[in-house]
Amino acid sequence: MPKSLFEKVWDAHVVEPLAGGNALVFVDRVVAHEITTPQGALEIERRYGDELFDPARIVAINDHVSPAKDTETAIQAKVLRDWAKRHGIVLYDVGQNGICHVVAPERGYVEPGMTLACGDSHTCTLGAFGAFALGVGSTTQGGAMLAGCLVLQRPKVMRVTLEGRLQNGATAKDLALTVVATLGFKGGTGYVLEYAGDALATLSMDERMTLCNMAIEAGATTGMVGPDETTYSYLRGRENQPTGDTFERNVARWRALVADPDASYDRELRIDVSALRPMVSWGTNPGESVPIDGVVPAAANPESLRYMDLEPGRALRTIEVDQAFIGSCTNSRISDLRAAADVLRGRTVSIPTIVTPGSQAVKRAAEREGLHDVFQDAGALWTHSSCGPCLGMSMGVLAPGARCISSTNRNFPGRMGTGGRVHLASPAVVAASAVLGRIGSPDELGAVALVEAAR
Amino acid sequence: MIVEGNVLPLDRANVDTDQIIPAHFLTGTETTGLGKHLFTGMTGGADLLAAHPDASVIVTRENFGCGSSREHAAWSLVDRGFRAVVAPSFARIFFENAYNNGIAPIVVDASEIDALLRVPRLSIDLESETLTAPDGSVLRFELDPLRKQFLLSGGYMAFMAGKREAVRAWLAQRQLAAT
Repeated sequence: MPKSLFEKVWDAHVVEPLAGGNALVFVDRVVAHEITTPQGALEIERRYGDELFDPARIVAINDHVSPAKDTETAIQAKVLRDWAKRHGIVLYDVGQNGICHVVAPERGYVEPGMTLACGDSHTCTLGAFGAFALGVGSTTQGGAMLAGCLVLQRPKVMRVTLEGRLQNGATAKDLALTVVATLGFKGGTGYVLEYAGDALATLSMDERMTLCNMAIEAGATTGMVGPDETTYSYLRGRENQPTGDTFERNVARWRALVADPDASYDRELRIDVSALRPMVSWGTNPGESVPIDGVVPAAANPESLRYMDLEPGRALRTIEVDQAFIGSCTNSRISDLRAAADVLRGRTVSIPTIVTPGSQAVKRAAEREGLHDVFQDAGALWTHSSCGPCLGMSMGVLAPGARCISSTNRNFPGRMGTGGRVHLASPAVVAASAVLGRIGSPDELGAVALVEAAR
Repeated sequence: MIVEGNVLPLDRANVDTDQIIPAHFLTGTETTGLGKHLFTGMTGGADLLAAHPDASVIVTRENFGCGSSREHAAWSLVDRGFRAVVAPSFARIFFENAYNNGIAPIVVDASEIDALLRVPRLSIDLESETLTAPDGSVLRFELDPLRKQFLLSGGYMAFMAGKREAVRAWLAQRQLAAT
C-alpha cells in the first residue's frame, strides 16, 4: 500500500499498538534542555533508580537562559549538567551552546527517518530533515528517557503542496506565516503537515527549518519535509555523522524516505509560493498575519485589537515600533543573519535593536563574515547565542505597551514581557523596520535586490 | 472517580500557555508550588481567580493550552486545585500533559459551552464519562481509553516503566533486522 513520508517513519517505529488508537512509538533521539528536563530526570532519579533507557540517545543543551541570569536558572543548568555528567550524556554548555533546535541539527544529531522528542514545542523545526520530531511535556520526555518511547495518538496527515518559487522579497518566514494564516491558529490540530511540491527543492535546510518551525503555530503535531540532495549535502561531513561508505549507505537508505506518488492524505492544501509577499502579524496569535502591504482586517478579533492597540483598516506600514529583535529558533541561522545584515549594511537603526545568533557556531560563522561589524556599525546590539528576548525570560524584555518587530514565532499577549506587543516578520523586514522605526520592508530602502541575492 | 466542584468560567478561546503561566516563572526544577503564578499572564486572570477561589473545574472555549510545551501550565492548574478543564478542543501537548497530571481534559460540543459557562458547579464522573449540571441535566463525553487509566490509576511514568522490557525486545529485533 502506498505510504506518505509520515507513515513510513511512523510504521518503522511502532513498538506496539495500544488501546484507543494510541501506539507505543520508539524514540531514536531525545533533545534535553534545562527548563523542561530536570523535572522528569529528577522523577526518574527518585522513583526509578536513576536508570535511563539509553543515555547515548540523549543530547543535552543548556539553551533558554544560558549563561544563567540568577540563582534559580543557575540551578536548572547545574541539574542538567550534573545529570548529563552522571550518565555520560553529551552536553553543549556555555561557550558551545545555543538554541537546542539550532544546535542539534548543526552538530549532526538529526537524520532523515528518525523519531525525535524534546520538551519544547518548536521541536517540529527538525522535521525539515524528514524526521518525525515532536514537542512534548516534561513527563512525556521523561517517559522517553525512561522507556525509549512515547504514547501517541496516530495523527492525520495533511499534504501541503508548495508550488513556484519565493520572490518579491518573500522568504521562508513569510511562507511559514502564510501557512499558519491560511490554516488558522488551530487549523492544523491533529495533523502532521507533510510538505510537498516543486518549491521545496529550491529551499535550503535553513529555510526548511524556518518553515517547519511554525507548524506548531497552526496547532499541528509537527511538520515534515522529505530528504533530498540538499539534506544529504547538509549532513555529509558534519560532526557526529559517519563518514565514507557508512554515510553513503545511510543516504541510500534515506532515499526511500519520500512519499509514494499515490499515497493518500486526510487533507490537502496548496500554496502558490510565487505569489507571496512579506508577511507581518498584527494580532495576538501567529495566524493573525497579513501581507505587509495590507491593513488590519475588518473582521479582526476585538480582543486582539484591544491588546495590540490597533483598529481595523490600519495600514501595517504606519505602525511605529519601539524595539527590533532578530533571533529565535525560527530565524537565527547564518542565512537569516546574512539577510538582516544585507539590509542593515551602511544604514543605521533608529530604535533599540537586538541581534542574537542561534548558536555559538552561528555566531562564529557570522563573525568570520564580518556580520557582527555590520550589525554594530548600524547601532544594533550583537549578543551571545540564546533564546534571547523571544519568550521574555531573560534579556530584552518589553515594557508594558511597548511594540517589538520580531523574527520570532509567537506574538501571544505577554510573550516578550507583560503588556508587550509583538509583530512577527522575517529578518529582512525586521531589519528594515529597525531602520525606519515603523513596520516596513527592504524595498522601501532600495534593498530588495540584496534580499534576493542573499537567497 | 468523581470530580465535583465549582466552575471557573473562562469565556475566551485560544488560552495559550504564556497566559496560563508566563515564561519568567519557568525557572524551577520541581513541579510543585506553581499555583501562585497561574493566569498571571492573562488580562484579568488574577481577578477571575479571586472571584472563584475554590473552583476546581474550568469551562472555556476552543484550543485551550495552545503554544508552548511547558508542563508548568498543568502543574500550576493542579497546584490551584483544578482537576478538570471542559472545552470544545485542546492543543495536543497540553492535552497530553493534562492527562499525565491528573487533570481531565473534557471535550464537549462547542454549542454546549454557553450554557456550561453559566453553571456554578459541575459533577464529572470520569468512569462513566458523564458530566452533570446542578439542574440535573447530563452530558456525555469521551475520554481517551488509555489515558483515562493514567487519570484513574498510576499515571504515565508507571505505565512507561512497565513497557521497558517490551521496548528492549523490539529494539533488539530491529537491530537484528538491520544487520
